[in-house]
Amino acid sequence: MTYDLEVLFGISIAYLLLLFLIAYATDSGRVPERLVRHPMVYILSLGVYATSWSYYGSVGFAERQGFLFLTIYLGVTIAFLLSPLLLRPILRLTREYQLTSLADLFAFRYRSQSAGVIVTLFMLLGSLPYIALQFRAVTESLQVLTQEATPQPIALWFCIILILFAVLFGARHISPREKHHGLVAAIAFESFVKLVALLMAGLFAVFGAFSGFSGLAEWLQQHPEATQALYKPVREGPWLTLLFLAFAAAFLLPRQFHMAFTENTSPRALGAAAWGFPLFLLLLNLAIPPILWGGQHLQLNMDPDYYVLGITLAQGPKWLPVLTFLGGISASSAMVIVTTLALSSMCLNHLVLPASYPNPKVDIYHWLLWSRRLLIGVIIMGGYVFYQTLEHNQGLVQLGLISFVAVAQFLPGIIGALFWQRASRPGFILGLLGGIAVWVLTLLIPLLETSGFISNAMDLENLRQHSGLSYWEFATFWSLTINGALFVIGSLLGGQSEEEKIAAYACHSDTMAPVSGVVAARSPAQFTEGLAGILGKRTARKEVQQALDDLGFSADESRPTELRQLRERIERNLSGLVGPQMAHVIISQRLEMDSLAKTALADSVRYMEQRLEASRIQLRGLAANLDNLRRFHRQILLDLPLGVCAADPEQNVVIWNPAMEEASGISSADATGCALGDLPAPWGELLRGFALAQDEHIHNMELELYDRTRCFNLHKAKVLDTNPIPTDHGGRTSLVILLEDFTNLSNLEAELAHSDRLASVGRLAAGVAHEIGNPVTGIASLAQNLRDEDDPEVIRESIEEILNQTGRISAIVRSLMSFSRSGDSGIGKMQEFPLHEVVDEAVRLMRLTPKGRQIEYLCNCPEHLRIRGDRQGLSQVLINLFTNASDASGPGERVELIAMRNGENVRLEIMDRGSGIPENMQQYLFEPFYTTKAPGEGTGLGLAMAYKIIQDHQGTIEIDSEPGVGTRVIIDLPMNQP
Amino acid sequence: MMTTPPDPEKLKERTLLAFFLALFLFASPLTVTWASSGDSWLLPYLFWLVIIVAGAWIHFRYGRHDL
Repeated sequence: MTYDLEVLFGISIAYLLLLFLIAYATDSGRVPERLVRHPMVYILSLGVYATSWSYYGSVGFAERQGFLFLTIYLGVTIAFLLSPLLLRPILRLTREYQLTSLADLFAFRYRSQSAGVIVTLFMLLGSLPYIALQFRAVTESLQVLTQEATPQPIALWFCIILILFAVLFGARHISPREKHHGLVAAIAFESFVKLVALLMAGLFAVFGAFSGFSGLAEWLQQHPEATQALYKPVREGPWLTLLFLAFAAAFLLPRQFHMAFTENTSPRALGAAAWGFPLFLLLLNLAIPPILWGGQHLQLNMDPDYYVLGITLAQGPKWLPVLTFLGGISASSAMVIVTTLALSSMCLNHLVLPASYPNPKVDIYHWLLWSRRLLIGVIIMGGYVFYQTLEHNQGLVQLGLISFVAVAQFLPGIIGALFWQRASRPGFILGLLGGIAVWVLTLLIPLLETSGFISNAMDLENLRQHSGLSYWEFATFWSLTINGALFVIGSLLGGQSEEEKIAAYACHSDTMAPVSGVVAARSPAQFTEGLAGILGKRTARKEVQQALDDLGFSADESRPTELRQLRERIERNLSGLVGPQMAHVIISQRLEMDSLAKTALADSVRYMEQRLEASRIQLRGLAANLDNLRRFHRQILLDLPLGVCAADPEQNVVIWNPAMEEASGISSADATGCALGDLPAPWGELLRGFALAQDEHIHNMELELYDRTRCFNLHKAKVLDTNPIPTDHGGRTSLVILLEDFTNLSNLEAELAHSDRLASVGRLAAGVAHEIGNPVTGIASLAQNLRDEDDPEVIRESIEEILNQTGRISAIVRSLMSFSRSGDSGIGKMQEFPLHEVVDEAVRLMRLTPKGRQIEYLCNCPEHLRIRGDRQGLSQVLINLFTNASDASGPGERVELIAMRNGENVRLEIMDRGSGIPENMQQYLFEPFYTTKAPGEGTGLGLAMAYKIIQDHQGTIEIDSEPGVGTRVIIDLPMNQP
Repeated sequence: MMTTPPDPEKLKERTLLAFFLALFLFASPLTVTWASSGDSWLLPYLFWLVIIVAGAWIHFRYGRHDL
């Protein structure tokens, strides 16, 4: 059975147009998002690994090398099995730092443009034969189907269509943040076609060539050498070497890196690929042995590389060879497109841009996009030229494996980047150059020699035979040994630059770079201004705005930590556009760090906390324990019922806990990082003033907040930096301010004081009745007498007496009214008054009580002694003290009060000769609700209230008591209150 | 399959165990042993499937979380 070339060409074009349609429908949103982002699509897109080499060449490989062909997929299985340890860290780096290729990753980690250039050139060198191989597979498969030589323009048309597809669907966006969903969907579809076609070919081999599985089993029984031929190379061939090469190729080949990391839309999908992708490969390879045996059974007269086509062509239905041919087209086109996209990105970032950076007046996005599209064309055409010039006498597998050994040279570099912090630029470049040199000598030159490009090249065959290693073992072992050894030696001897150390921190997930430096630009507007010189105004504005949006910052952001984050974000975003090294150079030049400014502790703490939150899941062992301890301490501060404000030596707020938020109404996010003085009124002025003041405490400070008077106590403490390692902040002192909101307590105290006064009034009631009763009786008698009295002199005297008695009553009522009045918290109205008036009033009130009438009050208070204070409060103090003294004294005993001037103070001493207070009780006397009296006789508030009032007057109160002797209360009050 | 809260340490431990199992099957003297017996051509595919099942089990048990 043969096919017309025109028919096959038409079918190929129709198939490629179908791919265009799938990609277009996906990109234009006609395919449901759920389907586009499904892990299955991602897994199938990774199937780009299986190129025409796998599709056609596996059968030929199996025929020559038995089960060795499986190593190419088992190595990938092992690499994907290690996904959590190996692939996820790479994905994290590519996502975080917007790295689009392996060259980007190396240039970022080793902070070297040279590294990027070498990797790119070597990738090109290693990939062009591989791209050429795809063209060869397509033309040769056409040749098999048509049984005639394929005209040259066919391959050229194939090239042009692939260029169109890659440009239209693989280079739509220049930024890696925007994924090419259409491309991924089309590649996934191609993998699906490959799988179906190969399985169909396998099933046809079983049922068409052997009449079913029993027929195959029977044939295998009759031909045990067929199975043995598969197993023999496993024992004798380079099994381990090929396994190792495939392991490296699984994620280092440009197309694999591109699909696995650059086009990855969800980290979850990578987890699913850890088993899904190997399963895809297993299914793909399940058909290979039956196809091989089918071809042998049918005694096909062709290269076993094309048994996949040949077997269906010999006996199958007419559509089956077409389907298998389309599977081959899928394998080739997917590989060429994705490899080219990856290489074009590398060439742009590491060859074109460093050589000719565009003028800032040019629209850089436009320039980058079209440069990349041009590069796609050039690379595919380069592969075509390579195909045209290469002698077609190498097996498909040979060309593929040469590329595998090439990408394996990146293995030491990537292992170093992920797991060895001391790995350095000199080591990487030296190792890579060494590995490349061996690769060229052992693989490339023999290939060129076989292809007729060169002759009389250095003959290493004798050396290889002497070593006892096979062809692939020899090349792989020596290239990687020299590469690895130079890498280690160069890294250990070469050392790292500061920039490289920071990049090493970023690549190593268990560690964190120390924070230092402040961006010289002070606002996003200054960022735009700085970047405009190299990016152009429009691009600079767009990039700064993009970074602000990414971080959720406003355009007037000015806090140093946020600006540093903005700088980092812009660098990462630019890295996606122009590569990490170019982005680093642009940012370093245009957004310089202020070398003189020290990193504020507030910034460092916040920055580190944010980073710790982000990377907490990666902390282990002691680091995790220390982090837990840090969280515990932090939580204590957060949960404290006191407001806590910690400020660094520059007086920038480091900690602002929830109690502080509640008291001040300023959120932690707004306060943290702010200078104390910049906080909203009245807190800015208050806290800054308190921080500068000598006093360590402020008591009873009243603030009008939200139309309400709030009462606060403020305390502060200095925190000395105990870090033994000198830092930017070393040796200076920070500050902790505690804010105690006692508004509620103060209100409660006022209510208690009022209750206490009412209780006193209650106790006075009987005496009041008695005291008022006497003058009332007197007035009644005088009034009765007046009714019959005519003598004007007697009448006048009686009236005088009545007025006298009513005056007594008024004085008593006034005293009671004054005493029982509800007071607000703290100290009342300050006024100057003679002290003896308050003393007399207190004695007068005491004498209203039954107990008071039995006590003799002896007061010695000079009339000239005046005091400034709260008259009612002091009256309360004296009443409470007289009450206690009276309660402790027996009937007829004396309570004395002596007042005198003591320097700038007035001293009052109240003495009784009562029972005294036991020593063990004296320390609790001023505590509220503590009483030495019998239950029901005292509230326990009297002395506590007295203590509070005296304290409010800036005075002191002491009790000197001896059981059985008596008690003396000594009060010192400043004469002039402020 | 039942899922448990993500535990990165366990994920890494189990991954390493599966890796060593893969090495044991495909990169140890055992490889020569099964290649010498050569009873069924499906044997390497069976071992391969074991590795895939181990990978799937690890993924569903420990690894279903974002980075």
